Amino acid sequence: MRRILAISFALLFVVGLGLVPPASAQTREETLIYSLQSDIDNWDPPNSVLREAIILGYHVFDHLAVRDLKTRKVGPNLALSWKPIDDTTWEVKLRQGVKFHDGTPFTAKDVKATFDRVLDPAKKMTARGNHAKIKTVEIVDDHTVRFKTDGPYPLFVERLTAQVMQSEKVIREKGHDFMQENPIGTGPYKLVKWSRKQEHLLVRNDDYWGAKPAFKYVKVRIIPEKATEIAELLSGGVDIIKAIPPDQMDVINKSGSARTATSPILRTAMLQLDQAARSGPNPFTDKRVRQAANLAVDTDAIIKHVLNGLGDRVATGINPMAFGWDANLKPYKQDLAQAKKLLAEAGFPNGVDIVFHEGPPIVEPAIQQTNDAIVADMAKAGFRVKRNFIGDNTVLVARIKDGKAGSMFNWSWGYYSVFDADAILHDVFKCGENYSYYCNPALDDLIFQGRSTLDAKKRAETYVKAQQLLFDDAAYLYKWGLRGVWGISNRVEYQAPADEVDRMFTVTPRKK
Amino acid sequence: MKRYALRQLVQLAVVIVGISMLAFAILHVIGDPVTLLLPQNAGKEEYARYYKLLGLDQPVYVQYWKFASRAVQGDFGKSWYTDTPAFKLVIERMPPTLYLTFAGLGMALLISLPMGILAALKRHSLVDNLCTVFAVAGQAMPLFWLGIMLIIIFAVRLKMLPASGYGTWQHFLMPAFTLGAFLAPITMRLVRSGVIEVMSTDYIKTARAKGVAEWMVVAKHAFRNACIPVITVLGLQFGQLLGGAVVTETVFAWPGVATLTVDSIRNQDFPVVQCAVVLLALIIVAINFVVDMVVGYIDPRIRVGT
Repeated sequence: MRRILAISFALLFVVGLGLVPPASAQTREETLIYSLQSDIDNWDPPNSVLREAIILGYHVFDHLAVRDLKTRKVGPNLALSWKPIDDTTWEVKLRQGVKFHDGTPFTAKDVKATFDRVLDPAKKMTARGNHAKIKTVEIVDDHTVRFKTDGPYPLFVERLTAQVMQSEKVIREKGHDFMQENPIGTGPYKLVKWSRKQEHLLVRNDDYWGAKPAFKYVKVRIIPEKATEIAELLSGGVDIIKAIPPDQMDVINKSGSARTATSPILRTAMLQLDQAARSGPNPFTDKRVRQAANLAVDTDAIIKHVLNGLGDRVATGINPMAFGWDANLKPYKQDLAQAKKLLAEAGFPNGVDIVFHEGPPIVEPAIQQTNDAIVADMAKAGFRVKRNFIGDNTVLVARIKDGKAGSMFNWSWGYYSVFDADAILHDVFKCGENYSYYCNPALDDLIFQGRSTLDAKKRAETYVKAQQLLFDDAAYLYKWGLRGVWGISNRVEYQAPADEVDRMFTVTPRKK
Repeated sequence: MKRYALRQLVQLAVVIVGISMLAFAILHVIGDPVTLLLPQNAGKEEYARYYKLLGLDQPVYVQYWKFASRAVQGDFGKSWYTDTPAFKLVIERMPPTLYLTFAGLGMALLISLPMGILAALKRHSLVDNLCTVFAVAGQAMPLFWLGIMLIIIFAVRLKMLPASGYGTWQHFLMPAFTLGAFLAPITMRLVRSGVIEVMSTDYIKTARAKGVAEWMVVAKHAFRNACIPVITVLGLQFGQLLGGAVVTETVFAWPGVATLTVDSIRNQDFPVVQCAVVLLALIIVAINFVVDMVVGYIDPRIRVGT
């Protein structure tokens, strides 16, 4: 018996040792480590709404057009030029000599296959709404395509930055399921390995057509706990992290091993209120209750004291950096007496019970602390808020999409990095859209008008009206435009991006 | 010993069937699972289609039989959120958690055995008091806090160990210590009281009278007997250790099954919850079986008496 036990334990030990993965082969010197708090749901960017998927997509895939982070203007990428042929046709010339990671050349066929796949209603791709105005894509020759649009489409060029180019051969031969885990793009990095909820390993694409990245490897680690993420940054285990809570900035800046960088980002945070009753009947279907919620919260004080000023007050969901923002519209100011009065008028003189689904601090720094402050303010006006924390961002997103997010929930919108009011109005405020819990035909008309003319002045006027309507109707509980806070190791140089798309291929080693 | 083992095995089978029933029931006690899967505005036909798709239109015993027979083949269905087979998700994440719990167990023994014996032999001395302080502090210290403190000291300040992650032996040290510190105090107290009790028995006096060296008396006679309750408790505590692994895995970004399970419960991703519950329960049951065998081997009274 003694022998059997000894042998079994020895065997268990040996088997155990065999299963422990070997140490990685890349050296730290040639590896850049970036961390995220939450993993992506798939490696097929048009099939995901997650910011993490957009970011990782930029590394393995290319877009037809990209934004210059200094000028914030959209410039060529896989497309060399574009011009409107008439009100509803755009012609795009493509770059030659570009190859996918599997060696297939990039041509007009791939552009057509990519858009056909995204636009096919049967495929139910997440990005479909972004490109719904495109009717067809026609191949003119190997390196020229024409886009036919449903009416004038002012956002055409902006939207080219929000769609990765995928391979026609992969779409046809390998199919949708394969593409969820095996990205084959033309981008600066290739995916070597994805260990779900643990890490992604990318290797430099040495055949890349553009500027070669400085680091041979990029490792993307998933570290759910913020304190651990910061400790990794300070101890040299990670080079770049984002969404640093404001109260931790000093710790990082005084460490001597890392620093912080901030930038206003194209993202507006809100508490979405279920005006459209997608999750069933709830008090927020009444305008007065929504107004009371907006009047209850002292948002300016929260920005000043909880966020250390790292937020830009907004009157609605439109971000100050987006085209169409109305600088003259003044936000709600805290007025508890008026809030209580409105609640009483709405039939809740003794207060009202609300369920609040809270999200994790993935993109919004200090979300928990600001939620605490908001809930406390709401309580003063008579809202009895029951809080329900959802720790996994992918799940919160899935619930929101399915109309199950409840009467009030954390949400912020990054515009798919498209700097235009339409990029939030259409997806988050229009009747019947996946992430919209608001429905107002008058607003839908304005959204439609705004996206149906190429005249910038007319569009701006339309969006002023839309913002007035959203403010008066208190569609959601409006918070602020976010300012991103990054933690950057002192071994590298990195510019914080206003479009919130981290580009590891622009990172360089810091000169000593 | 064979009869004893057989009896334990029969009990084990009953427990496993019970667990599978519980895991099956998870899906049914939370209300209508189809409501969770379908959008709010889904029509009646869509509901009917999903009932059929999930087999919910059949009698409960048929549903259980299907669940159990599929589960035996490792088929728990697909995760509702990632569209990946639940079994694959759970199995992928199982080894890191098992390594962590065993390493934690080892660390707990490494701390608690010498301290427990020392405290027993030097009763009411300064050493004993210090050990008591350690036990109280260990029990009172939240794992989360201890984990972060270790990271700050050993990774940020001293730069001796990686702050988090998984892959090399260095990655094991802090998580294993954190988890070990959670189990060590109770084990230490048990070893202490066990050794104290045993040291006053007749056979120890006999051993001493025979002129056996004191360290041999302690190591061979006292320790072996004092071990019996310790081993039993360790077996029982293994489940607790898995609970502690949730916090430890989160703090150290350890890609284990404990966080997967808790996330899945929170997300109401029932195929994954069912699979994880069944597999983790199987492991706990297997470990308790081994513990029973070891205890039976060490102490013949147990295998004969029961």
